[in-house]
Amino acid sequence: MEELFASLVKDFVDETAPIAQEVGGLLLKLEGAWGTGGDAKPIVRAIRGGLHTIKGNSAMMGLGPIERVAHVLEDVCAQVEPRPSREQTLLIQLLFEGCDLLGVLIQAALAGSVDATSADAFVLRARASMDDATLPKAMPDSVEASPRAEAALAPPSAEPSNVASDDGRGTARIADRDVDDLLELAGETIVGQTQLARMHGRLARGQFEASDIVLMDQLLTELGRTTREIRHKLLRVRLAPIATLFRRFGRFLRDLARERGQVIELVIEGGDTAVDRAIISRLYEPLVHIVRNAVAHGIESADARAACGKPAKAQILLSARMREGRVQVCVADDGRGLDLRAIAAKAAAQGMDTSALSERDIQRLIFQSGLSTAASVSNLAGRGVGLDVVASVVQSLGGTIDVRGASGRGTVFVLDLPVTVSLQKALIFGVDSETFAIPAGFILDTMESREKNMQAINRVLLVSWRGDFVRAVDAGRLLGCQGLAQAWARPYAIILQAGNKRGALLVDWFSGVQEIVVKPLDACLASCRMVAGATVLAQGRVVPILDCVEVVRRTNVALLPESSNEAKVEASYDVF
Amino acid sequence: MSSDASQSPEATETSMASAEPLLAFADALLASSECEPGRAAGEIRQYVTFFLRDDEIGIPILQCREIVRALAITRVPEAPDHVRGVVNLRGRVLPAVDTRKCLGYETAPATARSRLLVVDVAGRDFALLVDRVARILKVAVADIAAPPENAKVRTAVGVARDGASMIYLTDAERILRPQPAAEAQPTRSDEA
Repeated sequence: MEELFASLVKDFVDETAPIAQEVGGLLLKLEGAWGTGGDAKPIVRAIRGGLHTIKGNSAMMGLGPIERVAHVLEDVCAQVEPRPSREQTLLIQLLFEGCDLLGVLIQAALAGSVDATSADAFVLRARASMDDATLPKAMPDSVEASPRAEAALAPPSAEPSNVASDDGRGTARIADRDVDDLLELAGETIVGQTQLARMHGRLARGQFEASDIVLMDQLLTELGRTTREIRHKLLRVRLAPIATLFRRFGRFLRDLARERGQVIELVIEGGDTAVDRAIISRLYEPLVHIVRNAVAHGIESADARAACGKPAKAQILLSARMREGRVQVCVADDGRGLDLRAIAAKAAAQGMDTSALSERDIQRLIFQSGLSTAASVSNLAGRGVGLDVVASVVQSLGGTIDVRGASGRGTVFVLDLPVTVSLQKALIFGVDSETFAIPAGFILDTMESREKNMQAINRVLLVSWRGDFVRAVDAGRLLGCQGLAQAWARPYAIILQAGNKRGALLVDWFSGVQEIVVKPLDACLASCRMVAGATVLAQGRVVPILDCVEVVRRTNVALLPESSNEAKVEASYDVF
Repeated sequence: MSSDASQSPEATETSMASAEPLLAFADALLASSECEPGRAAGEIRQYVTFFLRDDEIGIPILQCREIVRALAITRVPEAPDHVRGVVNLRGRVLPAVDTRKCLGYETAPATARSRLLVVDVAGRDFALLVDRVARILKVAVADIAAPPENAKVRTAVGVARDGASMIYLTDAERILRPQPAAEAQPTRSDEA
């Protein structure tokens, strides 16, 4: 019973949270329409529709607090008029806050703890404000309620960005047509499997026919095609329109602009471009950084804009489009552009020779650590991360980032990204000048491999680890690297566990666990049993990801070379 | 501003920005044939040609996606002989194929002139490592002769002549097809 309820709540959240987000977007539109004198009526109608659905859904689920907030917001909406005024601004501010609160409450429903206090406080305050807006004199007791209500409201509305974050355990929406396609493909694999089973039966009875090999060839080709198609279609399920990411910037920019007393318009293009939700969720932080930079360093004050003949309303463009099977995301502003001289001066101050650098080279310097624009372009504070961090996030997604700017005309950041990724945590290690990645799930421990920890018995190399002996192998030898170093010269050991088997890899160096993008290898590398895939590290370098099951298996059958080395090994470990 | 935004980011390492007119030409041709796939079906066939040692070899232009500098190739443990490793092409990991090995030449390290010819074979992309890329060759079907018995390029399906020089015509699929004869035939034959 409880399970059923939990799944109902989940459905409720999945359905209602996007509506709350949508309403937030519509509010921005409404504000925009007021600014330009456009027709606000249909927008208000859409907002009321959304709120009504939220109210209905939450009433059905018995989520009283949400229902009450949605209800009062509907009432607020009813007072919104197509013409802006001071009171109206107050109302829309109320709607924004209420919408944030709805988002928070809906997510809280998932955890089963909808906070009735903050909801009721908001309802109270909303009623009071409505009276304020409509009646010149407010009733004293309702005014008193306001400060308390604000205090209760403060924490949830502080971080609206969390509402839509995707932690990888979200729910994907899938079109009926795609489900049908997948079912059909699954059916094809079953047919293929049945045919193979029949053939297997014949083979088992020894009734092999010459034509079978051709038939089998055909079956395998078809099965391969079908399974690839299934994978392709399933990957598409992971995709979401990038507008879900872009729209979050509407509110972000509005608040930022208000804070700084600027007028900034957000222009979104290509919002329907489909991108892996994993990318969308990891792209938010870098884009926030770029956008915040654009506002802080790029966009001039209204006076300065007027002085150079620019419209008072600044623009920030977020665009996405497909290009050669990849997604190109642009963040552009029409501000003052990059200050090349300041960047070059900063670089020179750090001892870099900038005399030979082209304009483009200097622009790209902003991606280097220690040369963040926050310090070089102006004194306006950036927050913590520099553009070097942005660049490395983009690279870890398998993408690249570039910037170009024209002095006085603006700056454009271009991110070139794959449509889809699968992320994994992995440890990077090196041996004989080659680099490899190990999925973190297989790693028990890392340690320094001192000689006194090692022992060779009958050509079996053992490392003592927590009072146990683990069979060890020189990673360079196992992986066929060309180096000359010997096992006992490796300074580190990585202890692996796959299934119930353990093994130790002796390596030259390793770095901490990091998130990597897993890329499959082409079928022509299927013979590489020890390699499960590849990843691209920050410097664009391709690194094979080891298949730990196979590596541990091999470690457990590996013997030291027969040559004179053994004598040396034994000699070295005699001490111990 | 938005017009700037629509431009591509120039210059990753793989770009051919440094004015190699031939490559630009190839790109232009590829782009145009993409728009009108029917056009290449006429009497004239187009090949991208490259060199292995002193031999010029052509593969159909429609199989070529792009030509990039020989990027850092990462060795993959236990890869088959004809696969040098993998390369990063704008975030995609492609197998780098030792074209010399595939066609029975002695394998050689990449040089400054080496290029990766990115080809599409039945929906899979491969990077063919070649000594250098030569040109776009247009040849009338009628001018393609059968390959000589003892053709140096084992997979050649035809030869075209251009003045005194001979161009072996093959295709990416044949280059990549595993060759049972590869072991039997000595790889030194090209040294003569």
